Amino acid sequence: MSTTAQHTLPERAPGSGRRNAGLARVDWRRVAIVLGAYFGCLILFGAVVALKGASPTGVYNSLIHSALLGDGSLSEVIVRAVPIALAALAVSVPAKAGLVNVGGEGQLIVGAIAASGIGVFISGGLPGPVGWVLMAVGGMAAGALWAGIPAVLRTGLSANEAVTTLLMNFVANDLMLYLIYQPWKDPTGGGQPQSSPLPGGDVLPSILGSTINLAAVVALVVAIGVWGLLKRTGFGFALRVVGGNQKAAHRAGLPVNRLMVSSMLVGGALAGLGGMLNLAGSQIQLVPGGTATYGYIGFLAAFLGRHDPLKVVLAALVFSAIAIGNSGLELNYGLDGSVVDVLLALLVVAPLWLSRNRKEAF
Amino acid sequence: MTVGSPLAARDLELGMVFQDLRLVPAFTVWENVALHLRETGRILRPRQLQQVVRDASERYGLAVDPGARVSDLSIGEWQRVELLKVLLAGARVLILDEPTSVLTPQEVDGLFAVLRRLREDGAGIVIITHKMRDVREIADRVTVLRAGRVVVGDRLASSMTDDELVQAMVGESVVPVINQQPSPPETTPAIELRDVALAGIGEGSGLRGLDLTVAPGEILGVAGVAGNGQRELADLIAGALAPDRGEIVVGGKSMTGSGPKAFRRAGVVNVVGDPVRDFVVPGLSVGEHAALWGSMTSRRRLRFDVGAAATAITADADRSGLDIVAPTRRLALLSGGNIQRVLLTLAFSEDATVLVVSYPTRGLDVRTTETTRSLLLAARDAGRAVVLISEDLDELLALSDRIAVLAHGRCTGVVERRSTDRRALGHLMTADAA
Amino acid sequence: MNGLQQALAGGVESGTVILFPALGELIGERAGIVNLGSEGCMLAGALAAYALTAETGSPVLGVFVGAAAGALIGMAHAYLVVRRRADQLASGLVMWFLAVGLTAVLGAAFVSRTATPLEVVKIPLLGSIPGLGPILFDHDPLVYLGYALVPLVWWILFRTRAGLVLRATGERPEVVAVAGRRPELIQIAAVSIGAALAGVGGAQLSVGYVDNWFDDMTNGYGFVAVAVVLFAAWRPLWVLFGSYLFGVALASASVLQAHGVAVNQYLLDALPYLVTIVVLVAVARRGSNQAPEGVTRALTNTS
Repeated sequence: MSTTAQHTLPERAPGSGRRNAGLARVDWRRVAIVLGAYFGCLILFGAVVALKGASPTGVYNSLIHSALLGDGSLSEVIVRAVPIALAALAVSVPAKAGLVNVGGEGQLIVGAIAASGIGVFISGGLPGPVGWVLMAVGGMAAGALWAGIPAVLRTGLSANEAVTTLLMNFVANDLMLYLIYQPWKDPTGGGQPQSSPLPGGDVLPSILGSTINLAAVVALVVAIGVWGLLKRTGFGFALRVVGGNQKAAHRAGLPVNRLMVSSMLVGGALAGLGGMLNLAGSQIQLVPGGTATYGYIGFLAAFLGRHDPLKVVLAALVFSAIAIGNSGLELNYGLDGSVVDVLLALLVVAPLWLSRNRKEAF
Repeated sequence: MTVGSPLAARDLELGMVFQDLRLVPAFTVWENVALHLRETGRILRPRQLQQVVRDASERYGLAVDPGARVSDLSIGEWQRVELLKVLLAGARVLILDEPTSVLTPQEVDGLFAVLRRLREDGAGIVIITHKMRDVREIADRVTVLRAGRVVVGDRLASSMTDDELVQAMVGESVVPVINQQPSPPETTPAIELRDVALAGIGEGSGLRGLDLTVAPGEILGVAGVAGNGQRELADLIAGALAPDRGEIVVGGKSMTGSGPKAFRRAGVVNVVGDPVRDFVVPGLSVGEHAALWGSMTSRRRLRFDVGAAATAITADADRSGLDIVAPTRRLALLSGGNIQRVLLTLAFSEDATVLVVSYPTRGLDVRTTETTRSLLLAARDAGRAVVLISEDLDELLALSDRIAVLAHGRCTGVVERRSTDRRALGHLMTADAA
Repeated sequence: MNGLQQALAGGVESGTVILFPALGELIGERAGIVNLGSEGCMLAGALAAYALTAETGSPVLGVFVGAAAGALIGMAHAYLVVRRRADQLASGLVMWFLAVGLTAVLGAAFVSRTATPLEVVKIPLLGSIPGLGPILFDHDPLVYLGYALVPLVWWILFRTRAGLVLRATGERPEVVAVAGRRPELIQIAAVSIGAALAGVGGAQLSVGYVDNWFDDMTNGYGFVAVAVVLFAAWRPLWVLFGSYLFGVALASASVLQAHGVAVNQYLLDALPYLVTIVVLVAVARRGSNQAPEGVTRALTNTS
């Protein structure tokens, strides 16, 4: 980093700064580089599966089939995208304020725990919608708490939030395991470590006669709400100021610490809601690995979507489509289901690799 | 001949002392020196290296403690370490980039004494400077560059008059702006600091009990070598930091427990000394910065009207004569001078009672510098209290009514501009405040 | 051995699992690069070491290959963040994800295989000291390597020219460039060496401590290592203490269980992470002032 010399030459008359003339023109070289990067990732993944003796073209066929062409695969993609998208938005909101929330996984889990507790022990006798709202509020509160602790530790004691949110994930997972192995264990589950299923009335209903349930609608509305919050409100603007330059934000009279903590609370609440929707929409009960690393996939999706809520949701859909391909690959090619993680990671390597080109483009 | 890399330069016994001083602040002096020595082996022997530094500092008359952490040193000491480092690496041709801009007059004398000794030893020295005084004191020959071209090529320094040199440097004659008004009559101060103390920020010394008053319609200059409490003083007056002890009174009202917003509402407007660090928000446009600035005086929390602010800042810039870029441009991508003009436009657009201005003309071209100085004088004439923090003694002597000098976090003197000069200020800047 | 001794001996054994990646992370961060992917490097190291040991019967060979596997992941991370200027935290997490996927796919064949673990070597004389001997001197060789590595890393960082240049790179790369060296190469080398150590930590886990391979077996230890470096304020000796503290928390869970203390296993499992968070918080403020400038930039910078 070089410091600008204190005594610079007289500058060109201001206002004469030339606008980038080629705004409308497409930079084909750049397009080629970007496409090449993503294509390269697909080839790399092909090489990985070939290493395990599977045919790359067959694997890609299988992935496309399970994501797009199979019976009900589109609705399955949407159902799985719900927790991923919400966990991703849970990353993006704090990211605007300059915070790194890697705790989406843990926040999903505690959201699901709270929702399950409310569903099983409290709201059983209440009419559906009341139960849903109670569970949603409980899930959001739990997620907000889980994200709020690292946020307060960061603003109050300057403990790095990327590390603490990560560690909180493992605590959340152990907490859930404790509950489903002991106090909340399903007495009718045949000894399986799982919680009792939600009462029927608490399960979110399907819509449009498909397997898509109400969770997808809620998630869509929430995503649009987050978009509005970040792009159209003073709160969103203030978060951008804090994330851009904390010192400047403080001097402009913004309550920096309060804004940072609230961004994490909002993020945690979003992920907590994601955990609740995943539970009430598809899982029905807590099981080990019930969140299936959606929290981490969400982090990658948020990065791929560059923290723009709508792009983030799109990335979540793409990742969901890839993630559901695992069973097909396991069945047809004997590959471990986690192989899709490799493809997910590679798809994010591409923009990381492109970081340098992007900075030059400014 | 071209010099391909820093390493190649060293093989040619060329040594460069940069303005931003290429040292590692977290390292000790001897570690910084060792980093640049090739002769030391793979294994470091701290005691031996400290001795090498001690010997060299005696030989060249550059006093430094080899075991001190560089971040604890004053800027003058940094420069001595930098020189030592370059000399120990075997440089016979030294290039110094603006070496005097951060030094007190006394430190400049010390530096020049060292340079003269080196010249007598047969070293070649190139000094890059914009100060006439440096040229007069140390240079044998002069070359003047303007806008990347040589305007005066290698003349004997004694063969040129001051006027010729200035003409060559700026290319036009500039009428310097000078404060010619008498000091204002005694009134109730616009701002008052009572025994204010604050622990240092980063490499600064902090403040150790400071009393200052500024009257409406007065410019109080604050002189001192960087890191002697100026930054802390500016931050306190702007409300960005709260004092550990003491009280700040604005317009007769105690500001204890108030944040930046309350100070602003009380009429304090702040031009920060390092806009990139304290003002510019990456990703935001000029208009958005204006909206953020304006939100401080608005009653409603978290309301930002970008459209109106953009219109207003354009109009303000026209009025003040500070040209700024279109409000849609992103501030972080602009040059230092353009950023400074935006900041100054915002500051001068306000109906302030107290204006705290740190290094306002840093990075500005000659014309904008003079515009800024006249705006400062106009603010003073309009009855505002101006606190002008600067390292440029000439600027302070041209604009201030009174000048306060900071050293080691204490005020070592407040003097009337008319009854002081550079020498006297220099003595106060180096005064032992203990 | 009584319970306390068991917990302490186990703490040294499992603390070594953290010690290697933490020392590795320390080296990388001293050069200015944070590697959250050390979790992934550990996973890769654990699998590679276990696979090689299972195939060849030589756990020593396994450890070397584990180091190489970790280094490979580290190099990918270093290339992305140093040469391609990618975001350090995002790149680290992606490397971890990549390693999770790759090791699950490649390791499926080894899930139920057995392998000869690293042999426990009781050091003569020292190992027989009552009380202390069983805790410190009755372990596999990697534990002893860990003892030696801590002062070695300190000495290299603070008493050699290479260490001086590495630390300078972590603070002010441009100063290093002026001194005629190439900071980017130094960073890539530092991260790769650090990642190799993370790989050794993984090997200690799979062929030393647990003697098994299963998916995702590192269980966040690599992230704990990053936290340990933060609260050790980038000092090797404190990394040693931090690692063993985590190790003791980890080991006491199983010791308590073995002694029939009726606490749920999963609550005990959460203990080490909680201990790490608490210690990190307790010392965070002091530590952040000691951070190499490059690390401060990486941790406070956002994409």
